[in-house]
Amino acid sequence: MLQPGKAVKVTIYLSDGATHHGVPLYSSLLDFLFYRGVAGATVTKGIAGFGADHHMHAAHLVEISDKLPIKIEFIETREKVEAILGKLEELAGTGLIEMQETTVAKPAQVSKPKQPTIPAHLKIEGKAQMMRIYLSEEDRWKDKPLYRALVEAMRANDLAGVTVYRGILGYGAHRRMNKDNPLVSTHNRSIMLSAIDTAEKLRAFLPLVDQMVAEGLVVFSDVDIIKFAYRALDAEPSRAPASSESSGD
Amino acid sequence: MKEEFTARMLRIHFGEDDRWQGKPMHEAIIAKCKELGIAEAIVFRGIEGYGSGTRIRRSSHWSFSKDAPIQLSIIDTEEQIAKLTPHLDAMIEEGLVATSTVEVIRYSRAAEKGSE
Repeated sequence: MLQPGKAVKVTIYLSDGATHHGVPLYSSLLDFLFYRGVAGATVTKGIAGFGADHHMHAAHLVEISDKLPIKIEFIETREKVEAILGKLEELAGTGLIEMQETTVAKPAQVSKPKQPTIPAHLKIEGKAQMMRIYLSEEDRWKDKPLYRALVEAMRANDLAGVTVYRGILGYGAHRRMNKDNPLVSTHNRSIMLSAIDTAEKLRAFLPLVDQMVAEGLVVFSDVDIIKFAYRALDAEPSRAPASSESSGD
Repeated sequence: MKEEFTARMLRIHFGEDDRWQGKPMHEAIIAKCKELGIAEAIVFRGIEGYGSGTRIRRSSHWSFSKDAPIQLSIIDTEEQIAKLTPHLDAMIEEGLVATSTVEVIRYSRAAEKGSE
């Protein structure tokens, strides 16, 4: 692992066309560095350049050049670089290898989830409530489908999770028989939203349901929740609003 | 209009291939609910699951077999559900019925009856 302080930066200059055992040389070199445990390496492709042979290599539309300059850079401790330099010189062939003293101000951090892979998840058990809302797919709230507006409102109110289900057949408070017939495009199918959170949070959300749902059924039940949460994921911003709860009811 | 009351919820699990007198089971149960005036009934199709028969049910795009797991959810008062259960006992040969007591809020627009 790289530490802040003195280190060596190695730059290898290659030509794009160079190959090693049938694969592009840069990819061979990158594999070599990877499996030798080098902290990190970057390959960049130049748009024009010339090398020891004094041939100008450039990207022209007319002749698709496979001889563009390639640069591989990595930073490692002096000991590590010296240990792999011999093989590196052999691999680089006609390419140039440059080394310079450098100072690591801040080493790159290995992303956190890597360390606690096995017992990472957290099991939380407890009492909660499940709120199911039954409505029709065609119900609208302002300019959008009601179920979508409800999901957005729930997310904005930090409800732990909500999932929307589309029924294949059903009827209810105001819906006539809604049948999912593949031959008829219908937007009048039964929808159920299922949200799980503490009783207090669901009750606090209820005034919004009152405002938004003109017709429909809201059903509350007590559930025992077992929540598996990834500790590592807690640090990352959650992208999906989807619920991760599994209810015991 | 907003009404609040305590109700029973049934969730019935079976397979999409299950039939009752030639009709798909879920359609037969929904029809029976309608006949009895049950307040709310809805059918969901799962994408994969298994039930009492322990055989995996899965709906596949590659075959015409449609034995997906089906969940039927029915909500009404204790008395209404009591009217339905003898019929379910007669109809369901293999399946699972889970019941729970729930608190219900019903929103309705009484004036707009029969619109749609």
